[in-house]
Amino acid sequence: MSDEELAKDLGLVSAMTIGIGTMIGAGIFVLPGVAVNADGGVGPVVVVSFVVGGVIAMVNALSISELGTAMPKAGGGYYYINKSLGPMFGSIAGMGDWMGLAFASAFYCIGFGQYLAVFVGLPALPLLNPIQVGALVAGAAFVGVNYIGAKETGGIQTVIVFVLLSILTVFAVAGIFSFDYATLVGSGGLAPSGAGSILPSTALVFVSFLGYAKIATVAEELKNPGRNLPIAIIGSVAVVTVIYAILVTTMLGVIPWPELSTDAPVAQAAAASFPVSVGPIGGVAAAAAAVMTAGALLATASSANASILASARINFAMGRDRIVTDWLNEIHPNYATPYRSILLTGGLIVVFIALLGRDIEVLAKAASVLHLVVYALMNAALIVFREADFPEYDPAFTVPLYPITPIAGAALSLGLVAFMDATEIALSVGFVVAAVAWYFLYARDETPQQGVLSEYVRSREEELPDQVVDAADAVAPRGADGPTIMVAVSNPRTESALITLAGALASHEGGRVLATHIVTVPDQTSLETAAENRERIDTESEGLLAAAEADAETFGVPVDTKTILSHRGFEEVFDAARSNDADTVVMGYGGAQFAGGRVEGAFDELAHDLPCDFLVLDGERLEISDVLVPTAGGPSSDLSAEVATALRAALGADVSLLHVVDPGEEETGREFLTDWAAGHGLSDAELRVETGDVETQIGRLGADYDLVIIGATERGLLSRIVRGALAFDTISTLDTPVLLAERPSSRTLRERLFGRR
Amino acid sequence: MSTDDDPHRDLLAHVLLPVADPDDALATAEALEPYGPDRVTALHVVEKGAGVPDKTPVEQSQELAEESYAAVRTVFPDADEHTAYARDVVGAIRDAADEVGASAIAYRSRGGNRLVQFLSGDRSLKLVTNTERPVIALPAVDSNG
Repeated sequence: MSDEELAKDLGLVSAMTIGIGTMIGAGIFVLPGVAVNADGGVGPVVVVSFVVGGVIAMVNALSISELGTAMPKAGGGYYYINKSLGPMFGSIAGMGDWMGLAFASAFYCIGFGQYLAVFVGLPALPLLNPIQVGALVAGAAFVGVNYIGAKETGGIQTVIVFVLLSILTVFAVAGIFSFDYATLVGSGGLAPSGAGSILPSTALVFVSFLGYAKIATVAEELKNPGRNLPIAIIGSVAVVTVIYAILVTTMLGVIPWPELSTDAPVAQAAAASFPVSVGPIGGVAAAAAAVMTAGALLATASSANASILASARINFAMGRDRIVTDWLNEIHPNYATPYRSILLTGGLIVVFIALLGRDIEVLAKAASVLHLVVYALMNAALIVFREADFPEYDPAFTVPLYPITPIAGAALSLGLVAFMDATEIALSVGFVVAAVAWYFLYARDETPQQGVLSEYVRSREEELPDQVVDAADAVAPRGADGPTIMVAVSNPRTESALITLAGALASHEGGRVLATHIVTVPDQTSLETAAENRERIDTESEGLLAAAEADAETFGVPVDTKTILSHRGFEEVFDAARSNDADTVVMGYGGAQFAGGRVEGAFDELAHDLPCDFLVLDGERLEISDVLVPTAGGPSSDLSAEVATALRAALGADVSLLHVVDPGEEETGREFLTDWAAGHGLSDAELRVETGDVETQIGRLGADYDLVIIGATERGLLSRIVRGALAFDTISTLDTPVLLAERPSSRTLRERLFGRR
Repeated sequence: MSTDDDPHRDLLAHVLLPVADPDDALATAEALEPYGPDRVTALHVVEKGAGVPDKTPVEQSQELAEESYAAVRTVFPDADEHTAYARDVVGAIRDAADEVGASAIAYRSRGGNRLVQFLSGDRSLKLVTNTERPVIALPAVDSNG
């Protein structure tokens, strides 16, 4: 808890400057000239386009604020969508956010290049104009800075933003004195191409508003996110919208819009706003233009920087959900930065600058269109969270006028996409197709995440039309379809038997095997001894897990291996089962006993609250051709039946069921067993009803079988094994391997909700 | 073997071991191991932006800390752990030393040329300057030893 608090060090001002700093780079310094002259001349009405863009951004900002306060998690939009709509939409959102940020970064770099060209002569290279050269140099520098993680001194972001705001304020004041309404309307009136040009122009300038959502990607670092997140997101959109409206109007009243520079509009407007000299001091206008140019470089650099960092956050969140490989998120040993993610994003930026950098409009719209798709999905995610009544969804801030606000947010976002050019619409459609293809070809087999939406659909299978349920099933992740069977291997002699069991289960249920080697370092061991042993442990662990992997692969199931070092012994099995979301743990009897006797009381507590199904094998070798399953009903015998079914399917084992009754009750016994067999898909099993003492019968009959699977008849079987207090003496003397199955009888609310087995 | 008035043992009575990642943690712990410290506390400082977003998400930083502690425990199974969150890594190391009452701070310089050290901040120099307690610079042994 205190750790959580310590990790939060961004206050309201810092959070707002992240949003404002990212946004004003584009809107003021790069776009005005381009936007006002786009499509044959939009004219002064472009100011309205900026305001409309601000309104659309604001509606989405409300939704993001609600989602962000409910889930202050790294990854922002991607995270909410993946959690709510499931990994197929998650793939679209994650890729969309990521590529959108790469396009936006390329756009900011081009903006940087345009102003850099004002200061220094840049060479043209084959296929690249001077601005692209400047942008590439800048892009490489920003990527390098993020790669090394060179530290910005504390609060530099805040300083940059305040400097920019001051420069812009001075410019606005100076501009008002040079403002001439005749200049504003002098070239064909307010809307020379008619009001119809407003929305297409909004589509172009919307890139100026990409930035507020970045605050949500660092929500976990915010102090008091419940209050600060909404204020920062909504506030920064409000502030930049006002700034855009005032400053763009000012620029257009100072310089006739057809003459406004498409490369460095602010420098040009500043030069015209300030008098050439004030009293004896000459060169004021030139100096103002230079200050503006410096401001523009600072602004575009900070936008690009923030975008590159935000893309690494999204990669991290996607890697955590296995939508992309976690390899991307490796941290650099010296710089402590996610360098691979930064390099890959950097590579994309460079490619976009080189291929598309000649036309800044394409970059701007590509960035916007991808972000808009994500915003639309985010609004849908919000509605799903609310409607599905997801218990963990408890936002501190809620959107006003639900459901109008999120519906409007989605409609406005998609509506704006419709005003893009055919190229960008084609790009976004192609992109969605590619992301869905990525999901089906890669991510679907990897990700264990399932969305709230599909849970909701499946829980209402009865009420909903079949098509809806089928559709939900058709796109469901396979990483989650099958259970995770965790094997705790500890001993080379039992490794193969345990893996055989796990492999059979996993292949039958379409799951995966996680082979773990838990190395216990007892507290008593002296430091020197442990150190001497370490190399031996490493080798042993590697050998053991390699053997486990090979054995499991014969079943054609996915295998992961893990060495866990712990000084807590058997308890670690429980922890590992929990942290790896295991559905079943397979372990050896020896391993379970080994931990016994140390902390009995605490252990009893633990074993009474099993995190998942437990299968404990007493035996070293398994060559299974027939299996005996004694049953008296109950949850643990359900588990026995599942294991037997899996062994029958994977290894062709014959299954016999045994039910022991008191003399004279054979008839009811047979009835019970027939029903039970039918209910567990084992109708074709051999049924044996015997009378007398359960243990004696199991002991007598068990000898003829290769494996006896015994379900725990009461809770706490496992703890009794561990303490050596198990009453099944007959069984422990049995030569036949015995598999003890225990299923936790009560499942927590969360497990029931998430449908864990 | 040792008594409290043995000055050699006093220095190693409680060593604070700042570690950056699992590899660094293992190498640092191995470098310290031959000197047989009485007690070891592994420290991972999560570098905070303090006003700007961190280099890595909090969750990832905490995972890294846990993995680093596990690596230290392969050498010193009883090692304690301490996680600090700070922008000033060296300051956080000193504060942590005060907090856990360490007798000395042991670290291993992680190399890098002058430019890299300058850009990422030369911590070795900062750590040994103005220190209030002994700082042990461990020899840079190969971690595969």
